[in-house]
Amino acid sequence: MFFAGLIPSYLALLAFLVAMVLTVLALLRKQSALPTLASHLAKSAFILQTIGVISLVVMLALEDYTNYYVASVVNPAMPGILKVTALWGGQAGSLFFWSWLVSLIVFIALSGKRKLIDAWSFLVLSANVSFFLGLSLFGDNPFVRIWALSDGSLVSSLFAPEAGAAVHKLSIGMGLNPLLRHPGMIIHPPMLYVGYALFIVPFAVGISTLIQKQNDDRLIHDTRTWVVLGWVFLTGGIVLGSWWSYDVLGWGGYWAWDPVETASLLPWLTATALLHSFLLERKRGIFKRFNFVLVLLTYLLVIFSIFVTRSGLVNSVHAFSESTISSPLLAFMCFWLVGSIGLLVWRWKALGGEFEISSPFNREAFFLYTNIILLALTAVCLWGLIFPLINGALTGNQVVLDRGYYDRTTTPLFLLLVFLLAICPLIGWNVVQLKKIGKKLWIPLGLSILTIVILFLSGLRIAMALGGIFLVALGLFTLLTLTIRDGIAVGLPKFWGFLWRQRNRYGAWLVHAGILLIALGIVGMETLSTNIQGTMLPQEKMPLMGYEIEFNSISETFTNPEYMTAEADTTLYKDGKEIARLFPAQHIYPERGEFISVPAVDSNLSRDVYLLLVGYDVEVPYVTLRMSVNPLVNFMWLGGIFLVLGGLCVATTSSHLREEEELVQEEPLEV
Amino acid sequence: MKKKNTKLILGIVIIIAAVVYLIASSTLSQSQYFLTVEELQSNQAEYVGKNVRMSGVVLGDTIAYDPQTLELTFQVAQIPGDHRVIEQMGGMSVVLAQAAQDPTLPKMAIHYVGPRPDLLKDEAQAIITGSLDENGVFQASELLLKCPSKYQSELPDQSQ
Repeated sequence: MFFAGLIPSYLALLAFLVAMVLTVLALLRKQSALPTLASHLAKSAFILQTIGVISLVVMLALEDYTNYYVASVVNPAMPGILKVTALWGGQAGSLFFWSWLVSLIVFIALSGKRKLIDAWSFLVLSANVSFFLGLSLFGDNPFVRIWALSDGSLVSSLFAPEAGAAVHKLSIGMGLNPLLRHPGMIIHPPMLYVGYALFIVPFAVGISTLIQKQNDDRLIHDTRTWVVLGWVFLTGGIVLGSWWSYDVLGWGGYWAWDPVETASLLPWLTATALLHSFLLERKRGIFKRFNFVLVLLTYLLVIFSIFVTRSGLVNSVHAFSESTISSPLLAFMCFWLVGSIGLLVWRWKALGGEFEISSPFNREAFFLYTNIILLALTAVCLWGLIFPLINGALTGNQVVLDRGYYDRTTTPLFLLLVFLLAICPLIGWNVVQLKKIGKKLWIPLGLSILTIVILFLSGLRIAMALGGIFLVALGLFTLLTLTIRDGIAVGLPKFWGFLWRQRNRYGAWLVHAGILLIALGIVGMETLSTNIQGTMLPQEKMPLMGYEIEFNSISETFTNPEYMTAEADTTLYKDGKEIARLFPAQHIYPERGEFISVPAVDSNLSRDVYLLLVGYDVEVPYVTLRMSVNPLVNFMWLGGIFLVLGGLCVATTSSHLREEEELVQEEPLEV
Repeated sequence: MKKKNTKLILGIVIIIAAVVYLIASSTLSQSQYFLTVEELQSNQAEYVGKNVRMSGVVLGDTIAYDPQTLELTFQVAQIPGDHRVIEQMGGMSVVLAQAAQDPTLPKMAIHYVGPRPDLLKDEAQAIITGSLDENGVFQASELLLKCPSKYQSELPDQSQ
């Protein structure tokens, strides 16, 4: 299996390099079309890489402990599915997997009916695949084997490190980090990676368009679908990661502004801005330059995000050992950064693109404000990541920016964004009369004021919570009333067809509703969540917010070969009535000297009661429990689903919408 | 057209200025020193009572936890803060393993109240936010633990 994995991978790299040489030769002959042979080579390279990936998967599934990577992420007690997904559970494997995904995206781009990829964009794409594949094979090769030297010591190496060394098979592997054995964590990395990889194609097309000075609609026509899909996958990945941290890390925290998390948000922010300015370019032919900047920036931030995750350079807190690949990654990033800036400066004038906004209060202007805020958020996050580096280089002091910085800077910006999002659908495309807005506003405004009054009368007195819920309600009621008005105007029988034909718009509204729901979840977690912690003997109760938790018993079981399960049996009461039995647990891995908490959650749409087993003793017996009541938190995950569904609706629309949309009226009902 | 855009551009400039102010002021008010055990101890007087962040390797034998009061105490030993130094010494996992065995390194006592973190164990890297008290004990408000993602030193030993 070793050679079945290694040799095709090297051949794939070779094929990409040959394809690049062929392309350069074609370009030297002034042919801008992609040579057919180069395309075939790249496709074959993908097949070869696939063989390499399959070999590694087989080695993982069959527990080939002569392989260093297999031995570090797999052990016999792990379920089969986890053995396979361990492919991306460690550093070397996930880099290899990532290079394969990039190659897959290139394969798909080359296989489309339309001639999407020309010589220049192919050069950009294959340079990226070759770089990441080379980085994987020469920087952190997943096929490295374990060798026994003649003196009995063990080393890891691809081939015999000295004469007389023999391949050594370990009897057992380390197994995957227990924290990563969660459905959210299993799907999260590939989702995120696919999202990242999809942005490569727009980047390549953007570079090619700039080099060849093609001042038509190529960028937007050819790349819109890629950007939308990239956005969908990235969103899904980020939300899954957040769910994982809420469900596994045991603190009920959904977002910690950890550098790696923050880095994954960067391309999401610019891609979101890009989706908005694409729409403007399509509708009004403006913001052309802005689009080029955003297309290039988004992929540059993808590389930056990979760099942050893998190098450990940013904030030495996350200095995981592997940094042999950090300098090449940095050099690679700088190369594309300088190249992109150079190209943009060179072609800036030629890009043209009028910048004219007729009123500061129409929808175009609102799109502009939205994008400014999104870019401001990008700047805030980027600064938070690189300031410690800059400061360290200048002063020699190590300084960090943590949660406090992000909370203080991003909260007003996010609030502003939600506000814009809430009222944007009321604003028309051109000059807007305030009277007209007022007419449309009064129903949603009235309903959201009513919501706040009801909440206030039922005892909610926290100003931040009321304000946040008001904004969210305003946005949701606006979307709802506008949709209902459309429904009345079109007539119910035709309404579903109408929704589907206009899915570009309603998909976007679904996304906006999703953002509002996530905002609602955040308001709940940040302003209304409460918790209590205590040590209890059997039959003792602990109260919180009208709930009570009663401790019944604690037990230790050894059903799983890898870990011991300590499980508390508790009963949850609401206003004195039993509503659920909860079993918070710990999985204790004696071999690893680690344990993970498995929280028990009683969940419904209005709140989670989240119970964590913090400490215990089976002899006494007693337990220490931490109970949290997290209102509205599940709207966050619901909102995430809305984002993905809405994004998919938009992705299925054609990129030539300019013509199509003129057939249907933009605002079907003006009363 | 010119006239209307002027207003708009003015508005944008104001927004950008506000964002720059927000970033600058937050950077000044929220940045924390990130120190090693050695740096913290050599300038003890300067840092007492200040909110700082420190990093060290957990010494497994010193961990004491009382689940009733949730009081957690342990010691961490010095590890270098500079990324390049860590690389020269053979990577973070090697540094952590060596530092945990070396009795000559400076140590710092940590005091924390709260649930015991899942990953708190010997040779883990601890990143601790909090402040130094007058007795030289670090009062932690936040614990972050990192276990080396690679078991470079452990793996080959396993089958022996």
